[in-house]
Amino acid sequence: MEGIYAIWQRDVIKFFRDRARLIGSFAMPFMFLVLFGSGMSGAMSSMLGGNASGPLADFDFVEFMFPGIIGMTVFNTAIFSALSVVQDKEFGYMREILVSPLSRVSIAIGKVLGGSTVAVMQGLMMLIFVPFIGVNITFLMVIKLIPIMFLVAFAISAIGLLIASSLKTSQGFQMVVQILIFPMLFLSGALFPLSGMPAWMNVIVKVNPLTYSVDMFKKIILQPDKMDPALRQAMGLDLTIFNHVITFSQEIIVVSLISIIFIVLATIKFTKSEA
Amino acid sequence: MGNIVEVKGLKKRYKDFEAVKGLDLEVAEGEIFGFLGPNGAGKSTTINMLSTITKPSEGVAKINGYDNVTEKNKVRESIGLIFQESTLDEKLTANENLMLHCKFYKVPKEKREERIQEVLQIVDLEDKRSNIVETFSGGMKRRLEIARGLLHYPRVLFLDEPTVGLDPQTRNHIWEYILKLKKKQGITIFLTTHYMDEAEICDRVAVMDGGQLIALDTPEQLKTNVGGDIIEVSTTDNINAKQKIEELYQTDVTESSEGKLSFQVQDGSAFLVEFVKNFDIPITTVNLRRPTLNDVFLHLTGREIREESVSQRDLMKRNMRRPH
Repeated sequence: MEGIYAIWQRDVIKFFRDRARLIGSFAMPFMFLVLFGSGMSGAMSSMLGGNASGPLADFDFVEFMFPGIIGMTVFNTAIFSALSVVQDKEFGYMREILVSPLSRVSIAIGKVLGGSTVAVMQGLMMLIFVPFIGVNITFLMVIKLIPIMFLVAFAISAIGLLIASSLKTSQGFQMVVQILIFPMLFLSGALFPLSGMPAWMNVIVKVNPLTYSVDMFKKIILQPDKMDPALRQAMGLDLTIFNHVITFSQEIIVVSLISIIFIVLATIKFTKSEA
Repeated sequence: MGNIVEVKGLKKRYKDFEAVKGLDLEVAEGEIFGFLGPNGAGKSTTINMLSTITKPSEGVAKINGYDNVTEKNKVRESIGLIFQESTLDEKLTANENLMLHCKFYKVPKEKREERIQEVLQIVDLEDKRSNIVETFSGGMKRRLEIARGLLHYPRVLFLDEPTVGLDPQTRNHIWEYILKLKKKQGITIFLTTHYMDEAEICDRVAVMDGGQLIALDTPEQLKTNVGGDIIEVSTTDNINAKQKIEELYQTDVTESSEGKLSFQVQDGSAFLVEFVKNFDIPITTVNLRRPTLNDVFLHLTGREIREESVSQRDLMKRNMRRPH
């Protein structure tokens, strides 16, 4: 147990020590919110016909994007946290860990927990933008957000560890992750409403674990229950699978299942890798 | 005292290459045991098998009475490892590196503070405890690594080329620390090196070549086995001189890359007087010396252990990691 804690602690210490990374991590979300979000908001509302009166007039693109940006931050941080596994291999520290009496399983779990914790902290930091975009976030929402962020981060970190265990260089890891990040992000509903997509794309959306993750953040922050059904429809908040509208708790189950599958796969893969 | 390391018929095969071809050896408790050989001799593979990193293809290895395959974790608790390449986390402080090690090795909480103090004192780094490792020099990093390897009170400390890439002064310091350790802690030290002068401090030396043990004895005995003294000469015509010496004195002459001919004779001082007087090819330099472990290796394998056989990549890696 203490071994898991030690592995976790190392990642957390290093997260806070790396100032450049800490500040840099605000750059991407900031650009998305300000440049992309604000820039597109006019076009988006007119496309939705929101310039007229009616329920769609309430549509605010930046507000729509905000849960997606939190999702994106959690996702990026979590998957890139596994980069440290590859770097530890390159810089030798992995040998110190692997020749210790720690079991490989606890090392893998410690790493995934470390990555998840860092991703949650990074996600929470995005709340700094709240006052500037006029989203209404209550304390209760934040309390709800934390465990969901953690769950999502855990699943994604496990995917990261699986990739990291299969690769030897950080360049290779970055390549693979970059290729993975964009389709997952674009087809998750984080950056634009997922409505009226071609059928094949819709399939990808539905198998993308990020779709459910982002949707959970949206359900917490945007509170679609209180919205006009037409607006909800336009914002793509009625996520359906086989014509069944998926609920919040079903999404928790989906992401938990994904977590379990990938932590098992990642642990097996990691256990087999040599020092 | 009993044997702390016992190895029987240890083999390691990779696809179509046998890196270690059946190794038998025993190391007594408290001994400094040196493992000599050029790169590719199978030293690192052997250390990796002894330290449970690599699984042997055949044979048994026991450390502190525990089997290296079936009781991996017990073995891991009994050994300390210092690798050729640095395995410190350079973004953390010395203290954090040590603390993490305590946790990995389940050092009891109440003893951690005391042990960290103790090991830092052994390597003279007490005042650097809360500095980030990145700011350390190459020698300080090595010392910190040795300190870390001692934290869990291992019975055997494996040092794989502990002084590679360090300047001579730092190398001397590292050896002082290692000797201090032996005295203080009664710890068994198992080291590999290809600096022959360093191997002299070992109680016993094993020479390995081509995956096999070709000699195992005290440095003194190994040198005595070479027989006699070493004469080194350089002449204006080395090719003829080599032939002539071989004819006249019935001895094997080897030519080094610096153009020196060397050969062995009994009673070197008397020989030298007679040799210089009578040899008709002009001699430019001449030197008489006692055999070193390098001669032992030459004698056993017909080759020299070259210092440049440290892979350039390793050196570069280490140099690159020094602070700028």
